[in-house]
Amino acid sequence: MASVNAQIKRGSAELAVLTLLAEQPLHGYEIAKQIEAQTGGVLRFDMASLYPMLHRWERKSWVNAEWQTLPNGRRRRCYRLTASGRKQIAPLRAQWRAFFQALESVTGFQNA
Amino acid sequence: MPDWKQIIRKKLRMFRVCSPEFTEELAAHLEDSYEALLGEGWAAEVAFQHTIGQIEGRGRVWLVLRFLQEEFMTGLIREVALPGLLTSAAAGLFYWALAVDHISPQVMWLVGGQSPMWWWCLLPIWGALGALLSHRNGGSRLQRIAASLLPSWVMGISILLMFAVGFTLSGLGSHYWLVSARLESLGLVPPGFVVIPAACSLLGAGIAEVSTKKFRRLA
Repeated sequence: MASVNAQIKRGSAELAVLTLLAEQPLHGYEIAKQIEAQTGGVLRFDMASLYPMLHRWERKSWVNAEWQTLPNGRRRRCYRLTASGRKQIAPLRAQWRAFFQALESVTGFQNA
Repeated sequence: MPDWKQIIRKKLRMFRVCSPEFTEELAAHLEDSYEALLGEGWAAEVAFQHTIGQIEGRGRVWLVLRFLQEEFMTGLIREVALPGLLTSAAAGLFYWALAVDHISPQVMWLVGGQSPMWWWCLLPIWGALGALLSHRNGGSRLQRIAASLLPSWVMGISILLMFAVGFTLSGLGSHYWLVSARLESLGLVPPGFVVIPAACSLLGAGIAEVSTKKFRRLA
């Protein structure tokens, strides 16, 4: 599977993670693993891409983070999407849809 | 099982100050990564090397850069520059008021002249103000510290510029006494107008940090 340019990956990261968190609260490692699994490894998040972004969202109140103790006794910081965070998804989706439509009209990549 | 918290603390010291929670979270991530590799049948040593690679070399540089970018550069205007400028204006006005009214600070002689002791004593208030304003605008800990330190930055940069211009205008060779006087004062001025004010502002930022934490707990 072709790898994705870092700039595109970074731009799409917000939408991917917000969409995932809209389904259920997750901790950082789970977010990274689920995105990797769902995209067949095309999108991969390392720590440097994921955690600073999550912390910025926390400051902007897009997510709430709280430490939870797992059944194995370990503590993990789980991120839960807030109402404010949920509101970000629709405009981001619209932007990406517009972007892909524009790209498609030029390159015809869907028919390629 | 490697102690990932300890390893992170050792390798990424800066995060202990900037964001202790970040340190703990990264350690948890490495722990999960390591265990996943072991679960896939990797040898312990190879899994360890692979996992630690995330915070070594390029991984480490990238992590620090991204952390600084997100924590510091995002919202630079609202969370650092505006609170910092307000802090600088308040500290500058206060210094000017002390000088104009002659209430100042001819209390202590320290570095070849009057040291602005009263100014120093009240700088923690402005430092706290900068940190609180930054906090109110959603600033991270690093941004709160930067906002409270902005007056010292401004002073430091101004002093350096003044010295650079002074040296250029007077010429290095022709007036030895002038040059040596400048060099001497370059050693004397920054402590009074940059280093000590920075320490005072930082003290204020620290007090603001502790108080906001306590208020949050009470709330």
